[in-house]
Amino acid sequence: MTDEEEALLVEQVASAYRPPTRAHEELRYHPAWHDLSEAARERAYARGRALRTLEAAVDPDGLSAAARAILARIPG
Amino acid sequence: MDLDAHLAAIVLGDKLSFARWLAGAERPVRESLRSFAKVIDVEAVLQEALLRVWQVAPRFEPDGRPNGLLRLGVRIARNLAISEVRRIRATPTEHDDLEAALAAQETLGNPPDPILRQAIEACRDKLPAKPRQALDARLASGGGHDDSELATSLGMKLNTFLQNFTRARQLLAECLKRSGVVLDEELGA
Repeated sequence: MTDEEEALLVEQVASAYRPPTRAHEELRYHPAWHDLSEAARERAYARGRALRTLEAAVDPDGLSAAARAILARIPG
Repeated sequence: MDLDAHLAAIVLGDKLSFARWLAGAERPVRESLRSFAKVIDVEAVLQEALLRVWQVAPRFEPDGRPNGLLRLGVRIARNLAISEVRRIRATPTEHDDLEAALAAQETLGNPPDPILRQAIEACRDKLPAKPRQALDARLASGGGHDDSELATSLGMKLNTFLQNFTRARQLLAECLKRSGVVLDEELGA
C-alpha cells in the first residue's frame, strides 16, 4: 500500500460513521480500520478527535457527528 | 461543569438532556481510550459505550461526587475496550487513567462558542467548491452515511471525495490558524 492510499484509508476511518450492528453483534469496526498499520490507526484516532471537535464547534447544539450517530441509535 | 446536572432528566428518559450530557462527555471518554487506538477501533467502542450509558442510566445510583455518570461512562468504555483487546488478544501499550479523562472534561465539552463557530464558517465560505461540498456532506451526514454513499451523492468517486475532504480539512485549518484559532493540530495534518 502506498502512503497516499493509506492516507485515504485514515481519512475514512477518522469519520464518525460506523456500520450498523447486526443481531448478536456488539460492535462493527470501520471496514478500512483492519487495513491500517498501528501507526495509521493512531493517526486515525487523532484525526477523528480533531474532526469531532470541528463538528461540535459548528453544530448549534455542540454535538459531534459521533454524538449524532449515537442519538440516532436511540429509538423515539 | 458537573454533567450530572442532566442526570435526573436522563434517568426519566429525556433524550435532549442525554444529548446535552453527550456534548460534554464525549471528549473525556474518547481521551480515556487513547491508549487502545493501536489495537481496537476506538470510534466503534466509544459510540457503543456511550449508547450503553443511556441504557443503564435509569439504574445508575450517584455516589455524591461530581460527574458520576461520566465516570460510569469511562468505566463502561474501558471495560468494553478491554473485552475487545482480549477478544483479539492484543495489548495496549500504555494506560490512561480515569483522572486524566476527568481532567480533560474540566477544559473541554464547554457550551458551543458562537465566535468560534463564526470563525469556522467564515473559513468554510472561502473553500473551493468541491472541497466544500465534501466537507459539507460529511458535516450534514452526522455519522449516518459512509464515505462511499456521500461520494455517490455528490457524483464523485470515493478517492476523489476523500481527496477533496482532505483538502477542505487542511485549508480550513490553515485559514483558522491565520485567524489565531488552532482547534487541534491534527486538523491540518
